[in-house]
Amino acid sequence: MQMIDTEKVFEYSGYKKEDFSVCLGCKICASVCTLNDIGENVNPQEILISIFLGKVLNTHPLVRLCTSCYRCTDSCPWSIRIPEVIRALKEISQKEESFGKAFRSSIKIFGRIYEPYVILKLSSVLLRKGYIKFFPKWIEYFSLHLPHFVRRD
Amino acid sequence: MKILVIGGGISGISAAKVALKFGHEVTIVEREDRPGGLMARIANCRVGFKTFFDEIKDEPRIRFFTGCNVVSSKKKDGAFIVELTNGKVIEAQKIIIATGLSLYEPEIKGKRIVSSLEYDTLIDQKNDIVPTDLEKIAFILCFGSRGRDYPLCSSVCCSYTLRQIKWTLMRKKPEITVFYNDLRFFGQEFFLEHLFRNSGVRFVRSNSRNIEEDSDSVRIRYFSEGKVKEERFNYVILTNALRPNPELIRLSKIFGFSLNEYGFVKENTPLCTDVKDIYACGGSLEPMNIKDSILTGFAAGYLASEDENQEKHKSKVYIIENQTLNLEKDSGSVFVFYLGTDDPYSKMFYEYFSSVFCRLATELKEKGKTVYIITKNLIIPAYGEIEYEEARRKGVVFIHLEENERLRINGKIVSIEGGRDLEVEADRVVTMEEMVDNLKDLEILCFFRSEPQLRWSPTKWNNERFHVGFARYPREKRWELREYYAALAEIVIESQSKNFPQVMEDRCSGCGSCKNSCLSGAIQLLSREVMLSVFGPYLKTKQPVAQINTSLCLGCGLCASTCPSQAIEFDTMKTSTDRLPVQENLL
Repeated sequence: MQMIDTEKVFEYSGYKKEDFSVCLGCKICASVCTLNDIGENVNPQEILISIFLGKVLNTHPLVRLCTSCYRCTDSCPWSIRIPEVIRALKEISQKEESFGKAFRSSIKIFGRIYEPYVILKLSSVLLRKGYIKFFPKWIEYFSLHLPHFVRRD
Repeated sequence: MKILVIGGGISGISAAKVALKFGHEVTIVEREDRPGGLMARIANCRVGFKTFFDEIKDEPRIRFFTGCNVVSSKKKDGAFIVELTNGKVIEAQKIIIATGLSLYEPEIKGKRIVSSLEYDTLIDQKNDIVPTDLEKIAFILCFGSRGRDYPLCSSVCCSYTLRQIKWTLMRKKPEITVFYNDLRFFGQEFFLEHLFRNSGVRFVRSNSRNIEEDSDSVRIRYFSEGKVKEERFNYVILTNALRPNPELIRLSKIFGFSLNEYGFVKENTPLCTDVKDIYACGGSLEPMNIKDSILTGFAAGYLASEDENQEKHKSKVYIIENQTLNLEKDSGSVFVFYLGTDDPYSKMFYEYFSSVFCRLATELKEKGKTVYIITKNLIIPAYGEIEYEEARRKGVVFIHLEENERLRINGKIVSIEGGRDLEVEADRVVTMEEMVDNLKDLEILCFFRSEPQLRWSPTKWNNERFHVGFARYPREKRWELREYYAALAEIVIESQSKNFPQVMEDRCSGCGSCKNSCLSGAIQLLSREVMLSVFGPYLKTKQPVAQINTSLCLGCGLCASTCPSQAIEFDTMKTSTDRLPVQENLL
């Protein structure tokens, strides 16, 4: 069990906390879960409860195996999006990468990788790490005309 | 005065009953071909409705229109002029709306997946044979209610399922399983539940939507005690949720009163709509059971009738007002509320404490504290469900205990025994039993909410005393005034029908069987002097004789029917010798 800030989970899921806290505890989600078709014993509600109690179960088999089929959401009387929470848990348990983050948020907004958006989002990182530069390459040759003490290299 | 009652169900009839007692002219409009509404669709309640309806059927001042509906209404000189579909035009000063509830039919139904009213016709006592394969059945509760599209609780399905179990067991002995979210019972039903548990009825705190029907059975998959389980049942009964009547929308346009967001009539003051002279009762207010429909029916009928001697009748009403429960505000930051008890008497307070705990928890949560509510059973019917939803949305954590789980409170550490390992460290633990102890001095009639009293009187205790508010049953505050008006209405009904059994002293042998049968303890055995002669001189001896105390008598007639020498005369028995009282199933 790993202690993670639980508010962060809801932030990552893209929905408000109260969208998940309306859970009645009826266990309908467990009765329809796809994983239970193939012989697992999982109850998606356990994940919600554990987050409300301030714990995050990263070792729970659902975090590893959830297929995001949304059957639970479909039959839930309150339409709670449990796969979103599980996805958020998956994201948090991985190491945070700015590239992955930008690609994922691009998919979330546009449904595909929209390059102008990705580059905008990543611009500061790309600039800092030298992947792209402020000025085109030929501008560097201008420096040849400058006096020697001004030139960088 | 002329009063129009829209809807011929149980609440409409009881409103008409009060208005007739006041001497008003009553017109009842019913949409269906026969009166009764939802109550008459339940096989075992049909007789009850009929006896209730027969009391006012032959009154000269009542008019009854069936199979028709209201078309339009105009207001003229302080009176409504209402046109019906059969062409008749009715003038009325007051209108009582008693349209009742409509049934929600579950989408998944089949030959073996039936709704609860369909199941009712299966086990109806009129049928000579019940289905031969009725060996293993399951009830699934909360179908079509307590969801996002309809958040209210139907408040009667749990109780109705309990009755259906009883009616099933009377005919056959199948294995019964009940899948529930919360068991919302009231009053005496907790004892019935206890009885059924002991006799092998299985209650499972889990719900399922994975239901598949074959040719000879229905498969249900559910999750319980940490495991996924699959079982086959011969029949699966889905409860019918109760939804507001769609007819109300049409009526609200005709008469101009407003509805709330759930589709029920909006109450301005208790039982009054926001249009003057239009009252509402029964299922048009909120989902309620038969007894509450009678209660609100009486109250609406009373309000419409405008009693002049209200001050005189007030003295008979016995009120204990709703208790306000304030938790001492501790400095702690983690609070745990425990809603659960094993004592059937304390279970009567579930309804009251569920709403109180929800409210307290929401208040504490707003102050930034961490609040857990651990529930064995959470009973907040009808609009209480909205409070519950708000508490959940605010972030109060609800932990629902399963059947095999128990709570262990060890000082400040609260842990759950059973399947899951869960430990909470709390600064303050509030248990229900601790709170019930505070209310010990109050006089509370715990059975009163659920069971129909004899002669259909929802508030009457005896002729001098009508119980209202907390004394009747601890419940939500909005019921206090409704009960108060219902009690006043009942006093008016009772004051005009003075009908008590009478003892013929020369016949009475003083055996005391009537004393044992009396529910309210109204019969005493007095001694009287008798002259006896056995082969010789007269002797003076004393012999017991029964005497009835009319102030305590309910007028149920049990004493008259139990008397072995038929020494007790009861009027209603006398007048209806041709039709003997039907041995109706109580409950």
